[in-house]
Parts: sequence; C-alpha cells; structure tokens
Amino acid sequence: MRARALLGLQVAEPEPLRTRKPGAMAWMGAVLGSGASWRALLYSVLYLPWAVISFVVTVNVWVLGWGLLTYPLWFWVLPMHAGQDGIQLYGDETHQVYLDNPFEIAVTALVGLLFTIATPWIVRALTTVDRLLVHGLLGPSRLVSRMVELESDRGVVVDTAAADLRRIERDLHDGAQARLVALAMDLGLAREKLQEDPDAAARMVDEAHGEVKTALQELRDLARGIHPAVLTDRGLDAALSAVASRCTVPVRVEVDLAERPAPAIEGIAYFTVSELLQNISKHARATWAGVEVWRAENRLMLQVVDNGVGGAEVSEGSGLAGLAERLGAVDGILVVDSPAGGPTRVTAELPWRGAHAR
Amino acid sequence: MRVVIAEDSVLLREGLTRLLTDRGHEVVAGVGDGEALIKTIAELDAQAMLPDVVVADVRMPPTHTDEGVRAAVQLRKAHPGLGVLVLSQYVEERYATELLAGSSRGVGYLLKDRVAEVREFVDAVVRVAEGGTALDPEVVAQLLGRSRKQDVLAGLTPREREVLGLMAEGRTNSAIARQLVVSDGAVEKHVSNIFLKLGLSQSDGDHRRVLAVLTYLNS
Repeated sequence: MRARALLGLQVAEPEPLRTRKPGAMAWMGAVLGSGASWRALLYSVLYLPWAVISFVVTVNVWVLGWGLLTYPLWFWVLPMHAGQDGIQLYGDETHQVYLDNPFEIAVTALVGLLFTIATPWIVRALTTVDRLLVHGLLGPSRLVSRMVELESDRGVVVDTAAADLRRIERDLHDGAQARLVALAMDLGLAREKLQEDPDAAARMVDEAHGEVKTALQELRDLARGIHPAVLTDRGLDAALSAVASRCTVPVRVEVDLAERPAPAIEGIAYFTVSELLQNISKHARATWAGVEVWRAENRLMLQVVDNGVGGAEVSEGSGLAGLAERLGAVDGILVVDSPAGGPTRVTAELPWRGAHAR
Repeated sequence: MRVVIAEDSVLLREGLTRLLTDRGHEVVAGVGDGEALIKTIAELDAQAMLPDVVVADVRMPPTHTDEGVRAAVQLRKAHPGLGVLVLSQYVEERYATELLAGSSRGVGYLLKDRVAEVREFVDAVVRVAEGGTALDPEVVAQLLGRSRKQDVLAGLTPREREVLGLMAEGRTNSAIARQLVVSDGAVEKHVSNIFLKLGLSQSDGDHRRVLAVLTYLNS
C-alpha cells in the first residue's frame, strides 16, 4: 500500500495463502510454507536499516545543500558570534583557511547549489533500492505471476464453455423445441379433425409439414454454430467462405495459409471471424467487408475490416469483450480500431500451433 | 371459458390460441412476458373482467428462467379464484412445490409436450379453470420417487400406485375410472384403501384430496 501510494509503484498482489485445512495450525503451516511470507519477512528485516540510511543521507544532503547555497546571506554571522572569519575549510596550528572573501563565498554558494540540485537524484537513487526490494520481495515471483495468469485463463475457458452450453440450450429451447411443440400441437389438432373435417385436417398437416422443415433448418444452423462440419473437413478457407456468404454485406475472404493450424486454434479463429461478421451484419451498416487470415511466424493473424459506422468498443459485457476473453484464454489478443464514423478494423492474434503438434 | 395466455414464442402463443378457440373457448389476451401478464390481469380485474384461467410459460423474457412461476405465484396470491396453468419445457418438482404452496386449488403444471394430446390438454385447462388441479405425470413421478415414505408406498398394490398417481395429477374418480377402464365403484374402493394405508383421512372435494396426497408425499 505504502509503495503504491508514495512510489507510484504497480506491484501485483502476492499470491494468496492456500490453506489445505481450516484452523490456526493449518494457517500457520501455510504461512510457513509460503514463499511469499518468507520474502515478506526478509523485506521487513532489510527495510529498517535501509530506511535509517536513507533518512540520514537525505537529511544531510538537504541541510548541506541549502546551508551552503544561502551562505552569502549568513556568513557575516560567523565573525560576530563564532569568533572566526567564515566557515573553516581547513585548519591546523599554522594554517587556517576560512571562506571569507567574496570569491570563496560565491564558490561555496555554487557548491551548495549543486548539492541542492543533486538532492532529488540522490533521494531517488535511495528509493530505487526500496523500490527494488518491494518489487523483488513483496510482489509475486515471475513463476507465480504466470501461474496466476494461467489459472485465470482456465477460469475463462470454463466460464466460456458454460456460457456456450447455456447459449446452445437457449437456442434449442427457443428454436427447434418450440417448433416441435407447435408441430405436435398441429398434428394433435389434425388427428382430432380427421373424421369431422378432413379438409381442415389436411390444411393442418400441411402446416405441420412446413414446421418440420423449419425445425430441421434450425437444428442444422444450430449444429453449424457449434462446430461446422466443413471446418473439420476442409479448413478455415472453406468454412469462412460459407460464413461470409451468409453475411448481409458482400465479404471478400482471403486465407493465406500453407498448412492448417491445430483444430482448437482453427475453431477459435472460425468462431472469432463468424462473431465479427455477425456484428457487422447487425450493427455496422456497412456495404462492404473483408476478412484476411495469414500466418506471421508463430502467430495466426486474423483481420476483419468493414466500411460501416464504426464506434465499436470492447466494453464490459459486450460481445467483443467476450471475444477478447476467449482469445486471451489461449494467449491470443484482440485489437479493435473503430473510430466513430468508421471504418472498423478488428485484428486478432492467436498463437500458431500446427495441426500435428499436440 | 375465458383464457389469458402468456408465452414468449409467438408460434406457440398462436398455436395455443387456435387450439383453445377451436374448442369454443375465448382467449382474452396473449402476452409475451411475466410483467405484461401481471399488468394485463390487473387491468382486466379493474374492469371486473378477470379471466377464468391463465396459461403461462415458465421461461419468458427478460431473464428466461422462472418468470412464469413467479408471476403465477403472485397471481394466485392476489386473485385466489383465478386458475393458473403453468407450461414448461422441463418439469421441475421444485416449481410444482412452489406453485402448490398453501393450496392446490385452481393450479396446474404441465409439460409443453402435453399440448399434443389436444383433448387431454384442453380438459386440463378446463379443470384448472374450475378450481381443480392438473399436475404433469412426470411431476407426480418425481414426487413419488423422491418421497421419503418409500416403505409405506411399497405397501400399495400396483393398481393402487397407479390410482395414487392419477389422483395426484388432479383427476376425479370418474376420470380415473375412464382412464383405467374400470367402474367408478372400483376406483372409490382403491382410493379408500390408499387413504387407509397412507393413514390419511378421507377428504371430500378433489382438490383437497390432491393437496393431502402431495403433502403426504412431500413430508
């Protein structure tokens, strides 16, 4: 806290204590077993002497600097009260050097000025050591930082999977399931009518037939949304062309890949482009869009551009934020450049993993 | 019979409307979410035009969770005479318990699939409108399966278990007799045997009987 408030230092919270069992003994065991606690202890031990040294040096430098700088203003006090002509620079029985003529006074003031100017640097140098101590001993170690990052990524993956399942359930509930209920209802009515009013029954069977076809279409769309068969069979180029053809604006797709990425990366790339194109259909009011996919060394790059109204933001809870999280979970990133008035350019970067590397 | 339908899928709302209208009932209003349902009922009540029964979907906007059940519980409190039939894609015994809390008068909880059996479904709506009960066989099965009175239930004959299930669904003796293709007298005999074995006192009126059975199963 002190480091953050006074030194403007960004140090992440150290990793939390992990107790295996509740109770004071378990807590003590966790404290003793935790690297962070020992490092915090070492910090406390080192901090006191260093703080004393810093304090003494700082005070001395300040006093000396200002004292000498203002020497021209108070040198006259010395002959009156201390019985000497000025500050004694050097003295033994035979020689005594006093700073008493105007030139010497001026030089003294100049030295004072140098000290005064140097003071902030000296203080800063002292605090830098403190800063390093805080950083090295109180912050999480590098390995732990990575671990915490991976844990949070894993959480995102689990959350995303749960959200996907919810979405699929919703789509089923609102789509195919509702349609099948309506279909059952139509057929039920038709069966009741069969004897008394065959014409009406025929009409209902006809409607029911239409319902079945729509339900099939919806199931097909849903299955494609989960994982399109063409992606598995033919790869990104074919799958993205299919997505592009369903977009409401004309889309130019260019996939420049010599080999296929790993299925997981391919799936995320497909999903990302498909979401971005859906956004364009819904919000961008564009007349044109382009998708580019290429490989840059060990990264898979995606770029989706459109000439729509722009103003897209990665704000909390937005579709783009969800996408960014999903990409982050596999060490990917999402960059959105969308000034109001357009055009919008969304670039995503995924780590490259080959199809055969597992 | 005057009906208000609350269902967010336009397709199903229109289907239900057609189905009920076809059977000579009047659909007074159709709404798409729980709030609109409460508002509509309040407006109808203000004009002294309260419907006989409300048919409501469990999952409706905005949260798509249990709006229908919550609206139904609220309506039952505000208008004790109003029948409420809740339809759901899945039956959850928990929702049934919440709906039935206090009284099983004029309450129903059915799987959406039941609309396919047009006659039975319309019968169920009418039963709820008239103050009866309509519980989905699946809910009853869940209640029977979950009940801690398994040893007592094991003492019933298969036929008696069947009759108990139909009773819990809210059917009258004559409906049970029709369903099982036996005489009314035979059903009455089964019913009194069941009450004897479960240690319940015979209560008159079908809906009180349902409540007695449900309370027994739930305790």
